[in-house]
Amino acid sequence: MRKIPQQLIPLAVLFIVLLGVLVVARQLFVPKTFGDLGHYRATAVDEVAAQPAAYAGYRVCLDCHDDIYQRKQLSSHAGLACETCHGAAAAHATGESDQLPTVPRGRDHCQLCHGYNSARPTGFPQILSNMHNPGEACVKCHDSHSPRMAKGNGECSACHQMIANQKAVSSHMSLDCTDCHTVPIDHATQPRVVQALKPNSEETCGKCHARGSSAGAEVARIDMAEHGGRYLCWECHYPHLPEAKL
Amino acid sequence: MNIAMALQSFFTELPSVTGYMYPNEYELHWSVLIVVYPYLTGLVAGAFILASLERVFNVKALQPVYRLSLLTALSFLLIAPLPLLAHLGHPERALEMFLTPHTASAMAMFGFVYAWYLMVVLLLEIWFDYRQHIVRWAKEKKGALKWFYSLLTLGSTDLSEKALAFDNKAGKIITIIGIPSAFLLHGYVGFIFGSVKANPWWSSVLMPIVFLFSAIVSGIALMLLVYMVSSMLRWKTINMPCVNKLAEFLFYAILVDFSLELLDFIQRLYESEESIHILSQMISSRLFISLIISQIILGTIVPLVGLGLARFGRMPDEMRRMIYLMAALLVQVGIFATRWNVVIGGQLFSKSLRGLTTYKLEMFGIEGLMTAIILMVMPFIILFVMTKLLPPWSEGEKDIPVPPKPHATQVGQEA
Ligand code: HEC
Ligand code: HEC
Ligand code: HEC
Ligand code: HEC
Ligand code: HEC
Ligand code: HEC
Ligand code: HEC
Ligand code: HEC
Repeated sequence: MRKIPQQLIPLAVLFIVLLGVLVVARQLFVPKTFGDLGHYRATAVDEVAAQPAAYAGYRVCLDCHDDIYQRKQLSSHAGLACETCHGAAAAHATGESDQLPTVPRGRDHCQLCHGYNSARPTGFPQILSNMHNPGEACVKCHDSHSPRMAKGNGECSACHQMIANQKAVSSHMSLDCTDCHTVPIDHATQPRVVQALKPNSEETCGKCHARGSSAGAEVARIDMAEHGGRYLCWECHYPHLPEAKL
Repeated sequence: MNIAMALQSFFTELPSVTGYMYPNEYELHWSVLIVVYPYLTGLVAGAFILASLERVFNVKALQPVYRLSLLTALSFLLIAPLPLLAHLGHPERALEMFLTPHTASAMAMFGFVYAWYLMVVLLLEIWFDYRQHIVRWAKEKKGALKWFYSLLTLGSTDLSEKALAFDNKAGKIITIIGIPSAFLLHGYVGFIFGSVKANPWWSSVLMPIVFLFSAIVSGIALMLLVYMVSSMLRWKTINMPCVNKLAEFLFYAILVDFSLELLDFIQRLYESEESIHILSQMISSRLFISLIISQIILGTIVPLVGLGLARFGRMPDEMRRMIYLMAALLVQVGIFATRWNVVIGGQLFSKSLRGLTTYKLEMFGIEGLMTAIILMVMPFIILFVMTKLLPPWSEGEKDIPVPPKPHATQVGQEA
């Protein structure tokens, strides 16, 4: 039999010791229930479950505030739970605490969702706070449990209501949708089959806003070549609610 | 976009956010420390791969840097995890990676790759390589040092011819295992970035490979620097064939690395996914200095031209060494910029692809510039101590000849 080289013996011992340390450490430090359910300590679930719940869920509110709930469900706020606006109210609902839930009457609160933000889905009702009745409380005009249902008629607003609404209060209110969009007639009956076109050239804007355009004198003119640099007009101005001066 | 305009906008405006960012994207979560980390591991992998050239592929010219490379790799490997730990809120939990291995997590498994590389590859290779010297030192030295070396022998004091032959063979086998391990070590860092599907700047199958080649580039450049500077400090002549070979390898490595990066770039341009607009915006504004100027021009093209001229052109050795030194320094700047561009660049644009934010580097915080600098200096201190304990210098080095002082010669003549 060949002799094992002398070097290997201390190395083997060293590695076995290290391995042993690992095994012992696992024994000592890995919690008992680790891995029972997944890659975590199973008892952590009970600990978390034992924590008091701060939110009650909207169903609990129905016992006493059913009227509000019914009204809300018929409005476009139907998808919002009570505690989204009123904050955690479990203590109030169970009668544990006399403290009433907060009532968000400030303008800031509604703007969390309705303040204009280009990343919001198209058509989501948005306002520019300093243009939309500045200084007045939203709840003075809008019932938060049943915000105004926007009515629509007219051929485009039947389906693109939010956009039509926005345009209606913007400086483009006098424009027709078709001033900018080319829309085949069948789009109104088969919208997903027959596509309406979005503007693809800045000329769409240029026909009114370019220096030499024939539009009315009240229309602001800009230098099409310089203004806006490398970006498209609608990367800065939302065409259905263009902003330039506040 | 023309350069003057880009520079001007860079220095004058530097707006914190342009366009739209999601609220959780304004501030970067991965700071300069996460830049330092792949930079350091890259140096480790590169230095090791260089050492293996000498050992496995028998590139004899590199003999003077073989051990130095191993020690350098070890010094950097010891510090490499510190930036990650400093970044964690609970650094002590890092050890749980080993106690409760999570096989589905790339980051957690990396702990094992790292441990494997440190324990099985680097330490073992160095030990086998130095064993005969350690045994000798254990006999020769006095006091504490004697104890230190005796401990290091691990009781294996056999210096017979057979034992030495075994040391040599074991070293070679470990190096052979070490090459794929070093590839894994740094490829893995690239893999972690490359597999972030949601991030178009990172998500690329080429990422591990590009990381690997940039690691090789940085490792060779580092060894060129360390070797030349350490020789100068020790007043020894620099072995020209060795640095020439290093420069040659560096040249080819940069060439491959740059081609790969170009390939990646062209592919992205051609694919032209929806992210291309925001990414090109980012390159021409936020990353202009670190990518176009530092990484490509200063860190790649200038060294490439310099090395090409110095290695293959005709010039005095003095001049050649100067150029090598400058090129190696620039390459370090370039590779650091590469890491910066990956890590920071990947967080500068919004996942909405509609906006860019800015990274504000702090000075003194735990994740600040000072910490980064300290972490990058520490390996050199460790390396210094290690070269004292385990001298890597080859025998037969020549002192730099001291030009005789005119006064002294006169005295000599008189005598
Ligand atoms: C047990 C019946 C009960 C339940 C369940 C209950 N409430 Fe109330 N809540 C009341 C009563 C009674 C008042 C009126 C207290 C007053 O006016 O002093 C009230 C008042 C309120 C107010 C007005 C506070 C103010 O300052 O005017 C809010 C908001 C409110 N509740 C929210 C909720 C929400 C949200 C839930 C469900 C999580 C809920 N409540 C569940 C009984 C209930
Ligand atoms: C969009 C946010 C929002 C949601 C969702 C909401 N509330 Fe309110 N709630 C308000 C605001 C704002 C007021 C204050 C209205 C005012 O002062 O005119 C209010 C007032 C109240 C009040 C005080 C009495 C009243 O009618 O003025 C009660 C009670 C109440 N809400 C309960 C509820 C319950 C129950 C729900 C769920 C079914 C709910 N709210 C959902 C915003 C909301
Ligand atoms: C002075 C009364 C008044 C106040 C105060 C007011 N609004 Fe309005 N708001 C209206 C009217 C009227 C409309 C309908 C305008 C239209 O469709 O042309 C409207 C429309 C809206 C719309 C729908 C826009 C769309 O595109 O469908 C939203 C959202 C809205 N308001 C939110 C708010 C918020 C949030 C506040 C508080 C910051 C607020 N409003 C304050 C009167 C008011
Ligand atoms: C948590 C988010 C949220 C908050 C807070 C919120 N809303 Fe809304 N609001 C919505 C959603 C969702 C819709 C429905 C949008 C749709 O139909 O696409 C809506 C719709 C509306 C509309 C348009 C109704 C219509 O039919 O056109 C008005 C007006 C409105 N909200 C007013 C308010 C006011 C006033 C407040 C503050 C008291 C408020 N909202 C707070 C989410 C919110
Ligand atoms: C019957 C409902 C309906 C009517 C009426 C309608 N649209 Fe549409 N429109 C749609 C739907 C649904 C889509 C989404 C189609 C899709 O995503 O495939 C759409 C999409 C669009 C688009 C976007 C196309 C794109 O590429 O994103 C534009 C622009 C548009 N419509 C303009 C108009 C205009 C202008 C009118 C009035 C002349 C109009 N639509 C009338 C339902 C309608
Ligand atoms: C001033 C020119 C202009 C007018 C008027 C206009 N649009 Fe648009 N619209 C645009 C532009 C530009 C876009 C493309 C925006 C983009 O790509 O970001 C667009 C996009 C759209 C879209 C695609 C969804 C979106 O928001 O990106 C729809 C739907 C639409 N418009 C409907 C309408 C309707 C309905 C009207 C009339 C009520 C209308 N537009 C009036 C310029 C206009
Ligand atoms: C059919 C003509 C017409 C077209 C096309 C048109 N606009 Fe306008 N635009 C107007 C008119 C009219 C006004 C309101 C001028 C006034 O009363 O101040 C206006 C106002 C504006 C304003 C200024 C708003 C303010 O607050 O002063 C901006 C910005 C604007 N448009 C951008 C655009 C963009 C972007 C496009 C292309 C998507 C476009 N417009 C296309 C007619 C047009
Ligand atoms: C990079 C963003 C950006 C782009 C792109 C852009 N604008 Fe503007 N625009 C602005 C800003 C900011 C203002 C208001 C400040 C000013 O007067 O320059 C403005 C103002 C305007 C005004 C009002 C000028 C006045 O004198 O009241 C019009 C009209 C306008 N833009 C149209 C356009 C058109 C048409 C395009 C496309 C050719 C366009 N914009 C592209 C940012 C932009």
